[in-house]
Amino acid sequence: MSKHFCRCSIITASFSLILGCSDATPVFYESDNPQRLSDWNLFNLSSNDFVPSSESIVFRPANQLFTDYAHKLRTLWIPDGAQAMLVDGEIDYPAGTVLSKTFYYPTDSQGSPIRQPDFGDSSVNLSTNKLIETRLLVRRTNGWEAFPYVWNNDQTEAFLRVAGASTNIDLKSDIENFDFVYFVPNENQCAGCHVTEHPDGDMHPLGAIASQLSSSFLKNQSQITALVDRGWLDQYPDVSSPISWMDESANIDERAQAYLNIHCGHCHNPSGAADTSALLLDGSHNLLVNMGVCKRPVAAGGGAGNMLYSIVPGNPDRSILLYRMESDEPDEMMPELGRSIIHKEGINLIERWIREMPGSCPD
Amino acid sequence: MNKVIFKIAALSSIAGLLATCSEQQPAAPGLSFEESLQQQLIEAQPGDVIEIPAGTHEMTRSLSLNVPGVTIRGTGIDSSVLSFANQIQGAEGLLVNADDFVIEDLAIEDTVGDALKINESHNVAVRNVRTEWTGGALTTNGAYGIYPVQSSNILIDGAVAIGASDAGIYVGQSNQIIVRNSRAEYNVAGIEIENSTFADVYDNVATNNTGGILVFDLPGLPVQGGRNTRVFNNEIINNNTGNFAPEGNIVGTVPAGSGLMILANDSIEVFGNTFTDNNSANILILSYYITERPFEDENYDPFPEAINIHNNEFNGGGTEPDSEPLVALQANTGQPIPDVVWDGTMLSGKQANEILCMRQNGEISFVNLDAGNGFAAPNFDTADHNCELPALSEISLSTGAE
Repeated sequence: MSKHFCRCSIITASFSLILGCSDATPVFYESDNPQRLSDWNLFNLSSNDFVPSSESIVFRPANQLFTDYAHKLRTLWIPDGAQAMLVDGEIDYPAGTVLSKTFYYPTDSQGSPIRQPDFGDSSVNLSTNKLIETRLLVRRTNGWEAFPYVWNNDQTEAFLRVAGASTNIDLKSDIENFDFVYFVPNENQCAGCHVTEHPDGDMHPLGAIASQLSSSFLKNQSQITALVDRGWLDQYPDVSSPISWMDESANIDERAQAYLNIHCGHCHNPSGAADTSALLLDGSHNLLVNMGVCKRPVAAGGGAGNMLYSIVPGNPDRSILLYRMESDEPDEMMPELGRSIIHKEGINLIERWIREMPGSCPD
Repeated sequence: MNKVIFKIAALSSIAGLLATCSEQQPAAPGLSFEESLQQQLIEAQPGDVIEIPAGTHEMTRSLSLNVPGVTIRGTGIDSSVLSFANQIQGAEGLLVNADDFVIEDLAIEDTVGDALKINESHNVAVRNVRTEWTGGALTTNGAYGIYPVQSSNILIDGAVAIGASDAGIYVGQSNQIIVRNSRAEYNVAGIEIENSTFADVYDNVATNNTGGILVFDLPGLPVQGGRNTRVFNNEIINNNTGNFAPEGNIVGTVPAGSGLMILANDSIEVFGNTFTDNNSANILILSYYITERPFEDENYDPFPEAINIHNNEFNGGGTEPDSEPLVALQANTGQPIPDVVWDGTMLSGKQANEILCMRQNGEISFVNLDAGNGFAAPNFDTADHNCELPALSEISLSTGAE
């Protein structure tokens, strides 16, 4: 099926845009796990561009997870004749749905990755960007499955890497350089976040959900509207767009909770993998102690950073929560997965939130 | 650039060859031992045995298993080694979320965090597995060696746990547990049973830890009401290593020289053990209040109850206590700390013989610290504790793994 990619570049190379490429029509696999991303036909790849099939929708959730300043291009595709249903206020996608998320970095003239803001492009120019990985979340009859594909250096194909992969990135910016190992998650690690009810819950999307899609994106249109207009969703959910943690006009408490929810809530919820710690960061806490205020660590080990409490109001420097966000040591850092470098903008937000929080903890 | 080459290849194929592109298909990458092991763990089917060959295998990322019914088997506790000395990702060595799990005959060394974490798994057997930090007792070592949590029907047999900066063998928030024939040394806590129910801990050796064996019940956790643990036929010797836990963690409060510490747990039967030279005290029975940590948990019972200590042997110990009240006591009496130390606190209305009974322990010394009254009047009389409590039942695992 990578013949398709190949044919496309042949035509582009020979006749430029006169003939153009025939648009890819995505293919759904109920049981096979193709070794090559091209077999899914989700993208039109030439030597110059990486363009999602026009049959997919490019989307962006209201709150995006930090992944080492990588840019992300997300697509959603539902096969002809299938439709997602609203069930208990959440989108229940039909079998055949394929979600993709491609991670890439802008590059300088030498081809080295550079840090730039991600404005949510709907295609990737390969002369000024480098593709790293494409993760698929595929809705099969028996539920969602995750597949990590890793791009080769030639940018001609991405291969299924069930066990994940790692690659050295030297990311440059005007302010500072980041030299780190970028990790592609293995399939179990995909489940580590996408199974929020541990351990017997099902895998499910975290970004393409009703609340996160209620925000507007391309064409300044609510992404939910785009789904309904296409006939991909049977009705409008009754949710409002969540506060974005990046929205500086919003209340600091709501911004901080939005940030913690998207980065921590998939494990730190009452039935999540991190419920063993009794720290709840998905907004479900009844007592402030359950959100970490004056909460003692349970099994944090060195991750406690020789501190007594997760959050000490007014005192970010004595708060384990911030300490773990500021760490890039694998046994201390939080989130455990999804980043190798620290997220300064997130740290600044949580630092300010704790500093402005009223109250104190016993010494 | 390769892109140019690709373009040329494409043009040449247009120029008449009309060849399929398969000849130019990019090659798939090869896998390292580590990657193929992780791939095996992901693609395993129930009933599979995944073998770890002899040798030291370098791991750089956490391994994980989510498939039930899988056995991971090495060639021996010292011969098949997964070494995480160069680990750069993941908070544990091997993370298991899978029922009907067996791991045997291998070692996990030098993980950055916990060595073997088994979360929410049922029917688990860990046999002849060693978890070790090879640099000795260091604060920078990972927290737990063998670490089942929120799990049930757990057998840990023939394990060796060395160097954990929290607990070598730690079973938390679990039930139906057997830990036996194992050796824990140079950990902060050798063997710890925490917020768990129905455990048998026997025929183990706990030595050179800060605390040999700990049976704890803590507030604020999703699983509470720790009770019904039998600690028997263990050798609990010379657990005098200075506490090297990172601050903030509860085990950081364990005094060096603690043989067996029971904290706020109920229905504990302690018999047939040999306690030797644990220099704070051979046995400490404490309420959570002794930690001086506040808690807001209405359902939490901070007091130990129904502790039954019989037919044990005590040799030495208590000569160098590592806790303020015990140091003060030693200064007052000029004697070593007694074998059994109880802080003396209990719910009002309770009788001393509902908290602690001791009999047939040979020459045993005892103190009630009177902690509730600022340690004002320590009491060395065992008369209130010359009583019997019913024996607890043997644990039998539903798996029959024992």
